Amino acid sequence: MAGTDHIRNFCIIAHVDHGKTTLSDRLLEQTRTVQQREMKEQLLDSMDLERERGITIKSHPVSMLLNHEGKDYLLNLIDTPGHVDFSYEVSRSLAACEGALLLIDAAQGIEAQTVANANLAMGQSLAIIPVINKIDLPGAHPEIIENQIEEVLALPREEAIRASGKSGIGITDILDAIVHRLPPPRWADYPQTRVLVFDAVYDAYRGVICYIRVFSGSLKPGDEIVFMGTGKRTTVKEIGRFSPQMLPEESLSAGRTGYLVTAIKELSEVKIGDTVTHTAEPAKEPLPGYKEVRPMVFSGIYPLDTNDYGKLKAGMAKLQMNDAALTYQAESSAALGFGFRAGFLGLLHMEIVQERLRREYDLDIISTYPSVVYRVTTSDGEVKNIDNPLFLPDPGETEKIEEPTIRATIHTPNTSIGDILALVSEKRGFCDHTETVDAERVMLVCTLPLNEILIDFNDRLKSITKGYGSMDYELGDYQEGDLVRLDILVNSEPVDAFASIVHRTKAESRGRALCERLKEILPQQLFKVAIQASVGAKVVARETLSALRKDVTAKCYGGDITRKRKLLEKQKEGKKRMKQIGKVAIPQDAFVQVLKTSGS
Amino acid sequence: MQAKLGDNDTLGIYLHVPFCATTCDFCAFHQEAPSRPELDAYLRAMEAELCLTAPVGRVETVFFGGGTPGLLGVGDFEKIFAALQRHTDFHPVEVTVEFAPSTVKADKARALRELGVTRASLGVQSFDEKLLEALGRRQSARQARQAYDVLRAAGFENINIDLMFAYPGQTAEAWTRDLDEAVALAPEHLSTYCLTFEEDTALWVKLTEGGLRRDIAAEADLYQLAWEHLPAAGYAQYEVSNFARPGFACVHNLNTWRMGRWRGVGPSAASQDAGWRFANPADTPKWREAVLAAEAPLASPPPWAVDCVPLSPDLLARDALAFGLRLNNGVSLDELRARWPEADETLSETERFLADLVEEGYATLCDGRYGLTVEGRLRVDAIGAELVG
Repeated sequence: MAGTDHIRNFCIIAHVDHGKTTLSDRLLEQTRTVQQREMKEQLLDSMDLERERGITIKSHPVSMLLNHEGKDYLLNLIDTPGHVDFSYEVSRSLAACEGALLLIDAAQGIEAQTVANANLAMGQSLAIIPVINKIDLPGAHPEIIENQIEEVLALPREEAIRASGKSGIGITDILDAIVHRLPPPRWADYPQTRVLVFDAVYDAYRGVICYIRVFSGSLKPGDEIVFMGTGKRTTVKEIGRFSPQMLPEESLSAGRTGYLVTAIKELSEVKIGDTVTHTAEPAKEPLPGYKEVRPMVFSGIYPLDTNDYGKLKAGMAKLQMNDAALTYQAESSAALGFGFRAGFLGLLHMEIVQERLRREYDLDIISTYPSVVYRVTTSDGEVKNIDNPLFLPDPGETEKIEEPTIRATIHTPNTSIGDILALVSEKRGFCDHTETVDAERVMLVCTLPLNEILIDFNDRLKSITKGYGSMDYELGDYQEGDLVRLDILVNSEPVDAFASIVHRTKAESRGRALCERLKEILPQQLFKVAIQASVGAKVVARETLSALRKDVTAKCYGGDITRKRKLLEKQKEGKKRMKQIGKVAIPQDAFVQVLKTSGS
Repeated sequence: MQAKLGDNDTLGIYLHVPFCATTCDFCAFHQEAPSRPELDAYLRAMEAELCLTAPVGRVETVFFGGGTPGLLGVGDFEKIFAALQRHTDFHPVEVTVEFAPSTVKADKARALRELGVTRASLGVQSFDEKLLEALGRRQSARQARQAYDVLRAAGFENINIDLMFAYPGQTAEAWTRDLDEAVALAPEHLSTYCLTFEEDTALWVKLTEGGLRRDIAAEADLYQLAWEHLPAAGYAQYEVSNFARPGFACVHNLNTWRMGRWRGVGPSAASQDAGWRFANPADTPKWREAVLAAEAPLASPPPWAVDCVPLSPDLLARDALAFGLRLNNGVSLDELRARWPEADETLSETERFLADLVEEGYATLCDGRYGLTVEGRLRVDAIGAELVG
């Protein structure tokens, strides 16, 4: 098969739960890429965690062969991550395609994430095929969805295909549309070889495996290549396609999608979005859109048992091998001992990393209150990026503090607008404009400080809208804010793990909530415990945990001494497993509980 | 009467009598209903244990506890006294026998007094008939008063009355009435025990089945009530649960709290002597057979001993501090250092914590002695937990 006319590179973009994985599986079946008996439900989502959460974190490409009207076609499906945390990865996956199936649930309709991803795809000039999925479900109303497609996405309603991944309805129509409505590979006639790395994974035996799309030229084993973004030079060891298992090929030519194995052993040496070219005859300019991803959310990760530090360190290193977006460095906390400051793309990414440490590395971890990266300008004009509240310079040395904002797209039923606007305002945000989606739903475009959505924004949104609301966001600009460090003191000693950066207007309420929560969680002790929240020297909230009322054994004679001593030793031993802050012993789970529920 | 406490040449002997007529709901002590052949076998084993272990040192205090020691006949006591005289350096300044009110008989009381028993401890528990019934005690308040009078008439000049409080639902008024009733009898000594819920007791079963609820705050209030009420009536508190007229503190028990030496004889009895802390098996036949099968000379701890802990200066000094704080007189670190010079460093480590106690109002430091305040005494276990190691 010469040329590129028979090749189609496409992806599926959809909101979580709109049936992307089931539809992909159906396409694989229909093209006989995978026999039905080999089908495992949700074949393409390989990590347990992804399967459980029904979300795709990593993209897994697959090549399908289709004989259509007497002609053979090679269809490359590039599965995209479905969450905003991974929007850069999404954008690189999109860049590897010429077209996209835009999947919309026939009952739930267009969600914020659908709009965000559709805009991303249109921004890259991808051809869009709207697919209304799950039309066989009782609550399906495809006509309303078609209205939305026209009104919100400005796509002709006639182009929408009605389908059901579950029962196989419309699959042939979709394949037909892929062949006829999506363009063949672009930029194939560029004079030099240009290959996009749209993802990379680590394999214990083969090192780094790059997922690639060849735009022009070709690659074969033995080729000397260079990564244009990093300047890294290496040799092609193996090249091939996904079927969906990796199958080596003699070479990959323009338009093809597949994988690349080189001598590179560390995932950190490969940057997603980079362009590979031949060393001998390099491309003059790389493919567009490459950028270095920077973590947006930071949190301390500590072993619950300080003896597990080594295990945690090994776990973090292994995780990073598979997740180049994860950054971390050692830090220590007076309260929690030795641990790491880790940077994540977003909240979901943070949760996934924490969950993987727990599951795959069997670690009990405590993570501290998440923080965004603040930009602090000191009095002498120096600009510092601060991701840990402890390092926030004193107010006296600070000229200004800026915080990152997001531009959020919120879809909500009409009936909830008032409550949503109140929530946005409570979170120091404002609504830029609203758009009507249909008779029952509106879309709000809002600007919010990123640190305000870190903990409970999405939960509150879901609860206000009884689950019908959805949100997506992209990062906005930094804006100056009246931000302060809120310290929590236990018997006048600050507990570093509980420190956070908050807006001055939120300091008191958050301080009070934290103090109250701590009072609830801490067990009564021999001494009374003063729990305070302070901003600088000013105490903004205070609670007192009274001393335990009574702890005395009535009878303690000769025969009781041994038993009593054992009990006292046990009591003492129990305390040793706690973190001692001055005279106060804080149980490990108290940190977890406070940090878990400290959102509002 | 001042004992030579902490003197390494003296010791106390505890004799355990594992028999009762019935079991009280609150009791977790080992006891069983006696038969004559059983009693005889028990006595042979008691004599054998005294002979085999033959504790070294001057025996100054003896304490018959149980169970119900008052169930033993005069002849039984005579045999034990004879064995004590034969096998120990027996110079008692205090010999206590615990009585259940129902076991007090005039002739037996007189005989025991003549035999050398100096102190009678009467397990009254309460004068409140309803409470007695709830505790499963087979006795009446009238019976308790009669028993007290019989002991007095028999010549006992040192009588203790045991009272129990904090039965769930007990009011301050009810507790005050019990205290007043006891004070009205004018004993030399009073022990007031907060009801503890121990596993294996009928009371514990009742509690866990939801019939009873503990109220920690109410318990604390009733504790304090006794601590204020009894001193006002002339009974100085000298330990968490013990009160006495001047000169009538229990010498045997003071020796325990100050980490002196003691020997336990009989099933389940505990010892702290000859380099070891240990207990005898709680099962009477098991103890009896082990003792009767043993041959002299015995090493320490004896072969039947359970829960053996080797004694060290550190352990003793720490425990003298932790348990000594139960005493109103408190503890002097200098005295402890003098007794266990090797524990100097360990004791110094506790000073920071003791200073915290003073600062927090849980303790006072007076003439070199740390003593707990009322608030400290209510939390003496939590304090002890910080001191034991």
